[in-house]
Parts: sequence; C-alpha cells; structure tokens
Amino acid sequence: MKLKQYLALCLLIFLLVACGGRDSGDGGVVLNVGWAGSPDTLNLGVAVLTEAYTIAELVYESMYQLNLDGTYTLEVADTVLLSDDGLVYTYKIRNGITFHDGEPLTARDVAFSYRLYQEQEGYPFLSIYTYYFDTIEAPDDSTLVLTLTEPIPNIESQLLFLYILPEHIWSEVDPVEYENTEMIGSGPFKMKEYRQNQFVHLEAVKNHHLQSPKIDGVIFRTYDNQDALVQALRTGQVDMITEMPNTAVATLRNDSNIEVVVGPPLAPSVTDIIFNQVLPENCPPDDGVCTGHPALLDRTVRLALSHATDKQQIIDVVLLGLGAPGLTLIPDSLGVFYNDSLVDYAYDPALANRLLDEAGYLDTNGDGVREMPDGSRPLTLRMNWPSDSTSAPRMAELLNSMWGAVGVRTELQALDPDALTAICCPSFDFDVILWGWGSDPDPGFLLSVMLTDEIPTGNSETGYSNPAYDALYRQQAVELDKNKRIELIWEMQRIVFEDVVYIIPYYAQETQAYRVDRFTGWRTDGDKVALEDPSSLLVIEPVK
Amino acid sequence: MRYFRIVLRKLAWAVFTVVFVICLNFFLFRVLPGDPARAGIRDPRLTRQAIEAIQVRFGLDKPVINCVESLNPFTPGDCLINPLQTQFFIYVSNLLRGELGISYHSNRPVATILREQLWNTILLIGVAQVLAIVLGMTLGIAAAWKARTPIDYLALLGSLMAWSLPTFWLGIILLFWGSTSLGLPTAGKSTPGANYATLWQQWADLGRHLILPTLTYTIVFLGEYMLIMRSAVLDVLSEDYILTAKAKGLSTFQILKDHALQNAMLPMVTIIALNLGFTVAGAIQIESVFSWPGLGKAIFDAVGRRDYPVLQGAFLLIAVAVILANLIADLFYSYLDPRVQTE
Repeated sequence: MKLKQYLALCLLIFLLVACGGRDSGDGGVVLNVGWAGSPDTLNLGVAVLTEAYTIAELVYESMYQLNLDGTYTLEVADTVLLSDDGLVYTYKIRNGITFHDGEPLTARDVAFSYRLYQEQEGYPFLSIYTYYFDTIEAPDDSTLVLTLTEPIPNIESQLLFLYILPEHIWSEVDPVEYENTEMIGSGPFKMKEYRQNQFVHLEAVKNHHLQSPKIDGVIFRTYDNQDALVQALRTGQVDMITEMPNTAVATLRNDSNIEVVVGPPLAPSVTDIIFNQVLPENCPPDDGVCTGHPALLDRTVRLALSHATDKQQIIDVVLLGLGAPGLTLIPDSLGVFYNDSLVDYAYDPALANRLLDEAGYLDTNGDGVREMPDGSRPLTLRMNWPSDSTSAPRMAELLNSMWGAVGVRTELQALDPDALTAICCPSFDFDVILWGWGSDPDPGFLLSVMLTDEIPTGNSETGYSNPAYDALYRQQAVELDKNKRIELIWEMQRIVFEDVVYIIPYYAQETQAYRVDRFTGWRTDGDKVALEDPSSLLVIEPVK
Repeated sequence: MRYFRIVLRKLAWAVFTVVFVICLNFFLFRVLPGDPARAGIRDPRLTRQAIEAIQVRFGLDKPVINCVESLNPFTPGDCLINPLQTQFFIYVSNLLRGELGISYHSNRPVATILREQLWNTILLIGVAQVLAIVLGMTLGIAAAWKARTPIDYLALLGSLMAWSLPTFWLGIILLFWGSTSLGLPTAGKSTPGANYATLWQQWADLGRHLILPTLTYTIVFLGEYMLIMRSAVLDVLSEDYILTAKAKGLSTFQILKDHALQNAMLPMVTIIALNLGFTVAGAIQIESVFSWPGLGKAIFDAVGRRDYPVLQGAFLLIAVAVILANLIADLFYSYLDPRVQTE
C-alpha cells in the first residue's frame, strides 16, 4: 500500500518537473525583471519606498521627465512660458493624451492633482514639492497656470514626482485610504496585475502619445533573497535584475550570456563621515548638548584625518571595488552639478603625521595616542553608526586602524537609528558618525544641509557654519540662469571641500545586469545606470 | 459526563489564554523603542506637522492607556481621561468588532493581508508537514523494528544529519540545484503573467513552485519525527506484552499495527500538535529563500517597520493556532490514553 502511494507521489513530482518548461502564455513579448523590493503601496501620496516610484515612472506621467544626463524635457506639456518676475509658469498641455481607461487628460486633471498634493495633510512627502506653490489655475482644458510664492531655479525637480492623476477617479475616493490597485495613469505602461510582495505586471500602451514601448509588457518579480535573484538571472527565469550583492558581480561577469552594468545610480546617494564641528556660540539653545571633541574644530586635524584615510582601500573592502572615491556631499550622480574639478586629498599618513606634529598635537605620554596641544585630553574620538547598516561596521574597523596609525584613537559603537538621531542633531552629542544621504535630482537639499540656519533644525549634522557659503546658497536659490547656478554650486563645493567639513569615503555605484540573449537596446551609455527606467524599457526589443 | 467536564475546563483555559495574549500583544510591541511614524524613513524633510499627521491617522497621538502616555520612553499620563480615548480601548473594541486595523506600511487592512499570507503558509507548511510526518514515522518504525541493523544505522545517521542541517543553507543549495538541473522556479508561488488554459495547468504551475520549498522543509523536519518515533517504538517493543504477542505467533505487521503503534503514538501526538500550531507562524528562513509570500516573512518585515497592527494581528493568529492545536492534542491524548481522563 505505502509503496504504491510513494510511487504515485514520485510520479506526480516527476510530471510536475517534466511538464513545466517556461510558461510563455499569450501575453506577447514580456520582459521579466527581478528585484529585491516591492512597492509598499501604489497610492503614491502615502508611499515611501523607491520601488513605488519606479512603477509610477512607467505608469504615470508628470510635467517633466528626467533624462539620464540630469537634464529635463517636458512630458504632458508642449510649451512653457515663464513670467518676467519668475513667478508664473504657463503650461500648454498636449492634445490627445488619454488615461488608460480612455478618458482624456486635461489641464483640469493636472490642477486637481497639484491641489491634492498641496492640500492633503496625509501626503507627507509629496507636499514638500508644493512648498513654493501659491495658486494653481486651469482656465481651459489645455492651459495650466502655476503661480509661485518666490522665484526658484529648479521648478523641474519640484514637478518631477507630482504625477498626474485622473480627477474622475481620485475626486471620488478618500485619497489617503485608497489603495489604487488599478493605477489608472497616462504613461507608456498600464497596470495589468498587482500582487503585493510578489509581482507587478505591466502591459504596454500601444499608440501612446509620446512613445510606445517595443515590448508588450514587463513583469517585476520580487525576490526576498539576493542569491536567488542572481540565480534567477543565470537560469533565465528573469531577463534583467535591478540590483545584486557586490559579491555576485565577478561570477556574473564570467557568464557569456550576461552583461553587468556598473555606474552612478539614478537616485543620488552619498556616504559620509560626519565631524562634529559645531562652535559653542552655535550650539542650539533648546536641544544642544554639544559635547564634540575640541580637536575636530581645528581644520588641520580634519585635514590630517583626510590624508590618513585610504578611500580606495575602503572601497575595495566594503564595496568590493564597486564605488568611486567621494569629494563632497554632492555626489557624481547629480551630473552637471557635481564639481569634478576638485583634486582629492591624497592618502599620505606621513603627511598626516607631520600636519598633526606641526599643529602641536603630540603624544607626550608615549601611549600611542596624541594629546591636545595644551595636554588637556587625548585625541580619542567616539565613532558611531546606525546598527542597520551593513557597510558601516567594516568601514569603522578600517578607519580605526588607519587613524590609529597617525595617533588618533577611535572608540567604536553601533547605535539604533533612533538613538543615533538623538545624539546626532540638533543635540551634537557625538564626535564622528558614519552615515549617509539620499537626494533628489536637484542638489538644493544636500547643499542646505551645511547651512548655519540648519544647525538648530537638525538637518545640519556637522554644525558647520560659514557666512560665505550661506551667502552663495541664497544666491543660487534664486538664480534662474542654469549655467550661472551651476557655477555658484561648484564654488560652494570648493569651499566645503577646502574646509574639510566631511570626509566622503565613496559614492556607491549601482550594479545591474541583463541577459544578452533575450533583449537588446538597453541604454548603458548614459551618465547613470537605470535599466528599469523608461529610457531603456521604451526602446529595448527582443533578440531576433 | 466526566469527559464533558474535562473538555469544558480545557476550553475555559484556552479562552482565558487568548484574552491574556490579546492584552500582552498590545503592550509588547509598544515597549519596543522606535516610532512607527518614522520607522524606515530617514527623511529630514519630513516636517513635524507631517509626522503629527501620520500619528493622528494611525491613532498614535492618543495615550496608550489611562495613566500612561507612552511606554518607550515611559511617560506617565493623565489617569482621569475617558478610557474610550486610549489606544488600548480602541484596539480592544475594534478587535471585538473583528477589525484588525490598517497596516502602517502598506495602507491595507491587516485582515486582508493576513488572510492571503495565511493560506500560502498553510499550503506550503501543511504539505511539507504531512510529508515529513508520514515519511518520518514510517522510517522511525522501520528503524525501530530493524534496530541495530544497517537499515537502522543508515536511517539514524540520515535523520541526525537532516535535523542538524541549517535550513537557510539547505534551501539555497536545493534552489541552486533545482533551478539549474531541473529548471524549477526560483521564487514565488506562481509564474506571473502566465495564462492558464486549464485548471490542471494552474495546479501544475503551483506544484512546480512548491517542490523546492516543500522538499527543504520536509528534509529539515523529517529527522525529528523519525528519531522520536524510533525511540517511542523501541520503548514499546521492549514491553512484556509484545513478547507475549510474539509468543502467540502474531506477524510482525500485526504486532506493530495492533499492539505497538497506539502506545508509541503518544509522544508523536504532542510533537505534531506543537509543530502544527506553529505552522501558521510560517518558516521565515524557507519563505525568504524561496520568496514565498507567507506569514513568517510578513511578520519579519513588520517587526522592522514597527507595523503594530500587522504584528498584533499575526501574533494573535499564531497564539490562537497554538492554543487550538494544544487543545486538540489534549483532547486527543485523553482519547488515546484513558489514564489521562481519570487523573
């Protein structure tokens, strides 16, 4: 009896294995993308994760689209007129745009969406981009008049994520509770099937008003395990992966069917070594504790630590070589805004030692740790990082030995992110923190982090204060000439680089990979790597 | 009548435990450090007003319970407020209406999330548990009957190895092997975008996705069942009445079936009930290796995000399942072993 049952079971398993093969279905040419995430919700007003925005970028349209080189082009509008005072933008919305349900997209939908983002209190992130909005009018179906409270140089990046929603759907629902699983937009792909934490199935919109995809659809599949993700690409179960562990890069490069692409990410990010350099007079009166080591107020010490930091070794150990040495808080992925003319401080421990010797930081008691020039306290620095970071512990160990070699001791401790925020800013109860930032495509926010005004708000993590820098910031914030603004921003980077406000160990790079035997035409020549971006998904076609 | 009283008493205890768990669940997660309105977000542009708006939306602006404003950090609060305005009361009254709340993370009703994940988990772990129990018991009986022969040693060695294999590692190895040489799927429970012509095709697709995770789970649990079954049967076989049965000339099969198995089942019932209860908790490691959309993975993610409603709902579900499984085991036990009844 039992034996027969086992045999039947074995037969069943065999049948399942044998009769499988790839289910091609009749969905046409579908691209399978593997990724490790999943949108948290399709209602962008309450979404937090970047995966939600990746999907939105394909399903929705907004006023502008961001190109891989950091420039912008108009998307739902033909033309834009700016008033002389820099306050009134008049957009002519294109004719003949339709939502996926067939309804036309007009200026009224745009105005409705912008008002929703501006007024909805339950939309914590998108409302940030409406900060400068004064009035939003749609005098007719093809005209949108946007009036600002003050002239700003970066209206494109403000409107980039304000996706245009159909008024006839969103005016009927609770905009916070609505799950938006149908996700009716006007982009080149439309939602076909969505299973949270499993997959997102998008279908191509044929005869789209701007550009129709050459493929028939794309499926984003979630892999909770990164090794399984890589294995899925190797066995051909997916055609492209948007991320991978750095340890897999070497293996995938040896596979002749797979092409690995490495470069700056679409979403700019930066890793920083933060020095507490808040001056006693700038210590926030309400929240400030300000217990930073006095030596860090001295530029010479920060400069010496820069020379004592071997960035290439950090990149090789922490990122397995997949990173670029950093200069300032403005990363290379910000394209034209990134000042690449700066020359980095060379790794030179001898020079670091000499700088510290000359400035009077000597090891007077022979314990291997230098003391302050007045002998008051040793150069022992507390070093903290968020406990959820996988790269920071290794970096901390490396810095501990690199800085130790020039007589600066570090006491290492990981902290829960909440606890780290509590000691960081605006309390300034630390010496050195290893942390990082993500950023918009516009450098405005990252530049503001180093302003004197941001010390009490908690956005400034260093306590850095320089009136010249502050003045340049105010100047670039109203400079409407693109090239002049870039010039000012480059100058600001030079100032903070010379003041050694931070040490930026690296800008992490994006690593993605695709199968060369499936689809061709991937955009890998841009300044950034983003194979999941419309710039690739609209032009790829199956290998003949 | 006496049996009825025992059942009643056990039921009362089960209900009491569930009530206790409901209360404990609520406070347990609020003792954790971290603010759900900020968890997972380090965006300084999130203004104070925006955070307050999130807190109001989730009801986190209200005091935890009378006299306690928040548990971590501990802040005493007003004792004289209306209890209807405390988080605890709102939680309990929603629960009584069958509402588990809205997930902070995905903005969806917790009941919907848990229902989806629960069936996936029951499917995966259920199939694997049944396989592991059947195979483990058969192997255990065979090993006990052929004690101290090569069959016994082989089964023992295999089971010990299976039991001590790290689940995660075994899963990855099977995933690499299965996807490369058998072409089995690497993730999920179905092929996204597939159009099934027949129901059979849909079931076949599900079956293909089940093979590797089920195999992993079965191997890991097989050893435990086999070892316990073997020692239980060995115990029974050393009893005098088995000798008598042999002396009467009964066949091996009859002795096992009629005399040894029922007594040897007692420890098995306990362990099976315990394991089945925890089935709904899923298997975090297997679910994450094979990207299986189950409960274990959902709980793991919710802890990181301080997603209280999901955690409360999931823990309640697990507690009820474990208590229920224990209750059934208790009742079944007294049926199998009449001595338990009289005690």
